[in-house]
Amino acid sequence: MLANPLALIAEITHRCPLHCVYCSNPLELAAASSELKTEDWRCVFAEAAKMGILHLHLTGGEPLARTDLEELIASAHQARLYTNLITSGVGLSRERLARLVQAGLDHIQLSFQDSHPDRADWIAGTKSHAHKVELAGWIREHRIAFTANLVVHRQNLDDLEATLKFLETLRPDRIEIAHTQYYGWALENRAALMPTAAQLEKALAVVAAAEVRLKGSVRIDSVVPDYHAQFPKACMGGWGRRLMLINPAGQALPCHAAGVIPGLVFDNVKERSLQSIWNESAAFQKFRSESWMQEPCRTCERRTEDFGGCRCQAFLLAGDAAATDPVCSLSPRHDSVLRTVCQAPEDIVSPGSPAKSWKYRPNPGRG
Amino acid sequence: MIAETSKPALAVGCRWGGSQEDPMLLFPEGAMKVQGTGLAILELCDGQRTFLDIVEELHRRYFGSDAQRIREDAAKFLEQLHEKRIVDY
Ligand code: SF4
Ligand code: SF4
Repeated sequence: MLANPLALIAEITHRCPLHCVYCSNPLELAAASSELKTEDWRCVFAEAAKMGILHLHLTGGEPLARTDLEELIASAHQARLYTNLITSGVGLSRERLARLVQAGLDHIQLSFQDSHPDRADWIAGTKSHAHKVELAGWIREHRIAFTANLVVHRQNLDDLEATLKFLETLRPDRIEIAHTQYYGWALENRAALMPTAAQLEKALAVVAAAEVRLKGSVRIDSVVPDYHAQFPKACMGGWGRRLMLINPAGQALPCHAAGVIPGLVFDNVKERSLQSIWNESAAFQKFRSESWMQEPCRTCERRTEDFGGCRCQAFLLAGDAAATDPVCSLSPRHDSVLRTVCQAPEDIVSPGSPAKSWKYRPNPGRG
Repeated sequence: MIAETSKPALAVGCRWGGSQEDPMLLFPEGAMKVQGTGLAILELCDGQRTFLDIVEELHRRYFGSDAQRIREDAAKFLEQLHEKRIVDY
């Protein structure tokens, strides 16, 4: 029997004051006018809780861009969902933070780009670093969980040790080191973001040392980039198995990048119940069983563990969403992935000399 | 190591969820089903009782069980959760 998902990711807006070059939002950003209303989200949260969903991740874009964020958190809290706010913190005042906590926020995940203010601002395409540091102090005035999140790539990996030390000073409960995932805007900037093998090796050692140093005080979660792994990760815990994402316009997706796969039709929560979407929606069914698999996945022992890797990545790198994820060493297309990795140039560009290929993520139109 | 005088409590960002019949411990990166003795121990972790109080209470409830064993199991359980940043003391 199909189990219900455990977590709901609500991309409540694509609006964002930042322009991160590693942003994984789709190239076609949802216009502000297409966004779900407060009441629509309230229904979604109530239904989600009824389905047994436990966690709600509020993300974007920048969730703070929604002026009804307080109400959204309150309705999620009322439905007994554990609410997590994933934010850049830009524009969050001390007062509004207090209101969000008051509304029932359980966990805040604040993103950082680097420990040097100018480099951080350069990556985010906005002046935002100093405010984040101040905000971190305000967060610690409340009894909520605090994760400092750092997206890493070639331009900031060499600083990882210093950056971790800097993040420690903010006294988070968790530090999450997320390697850039090459979807959306990040894929456009891949040539400038892809780390070198040497950088990665060093980074692994730095993280291992930090884990030992911080044991019992800060939990470190680090996701190894799968371009460099032998086998792919079970993307989103498997297609349509663990998670459900609702985009700003109300479409339900099995993963945040699923929109890149041509031919998939996403049902909208305004038209169907969450439960029936989960059970029956064609987009969720598409890669759920094993019948869509090709060789080598079809007969591979690992298929029940990684489900053949990421469908979006298979499409983006192999041109076929049903192919074995090309990052898998068993994939016939694996060589083309390896070539990208090996070709990662050694140069680290700097704030003074922006890489030619840098493409900042814009803001969605008003629509 | 947890001391006799430590006062364990759920860590910041951890709370109960799920349903009455099926309580779940929720924390930032996931959830955990807790039943039986584990549930009994965690319900006593209110930040007021010391570890010693908790062990004594458990001994009273599970009458006839080995006190030393209870202490060791409870310590191990809480230390594991402490490392995962679910319990603070
Ligand atoms: S631009 Fe940066 S902060 Fe904004 S949604 Fe993208 S990654 Fe997040
Ligand atoms: S062949 Fe397919 S199932 Fe096997 S490890 Fe690679 S991606 Fe996973």
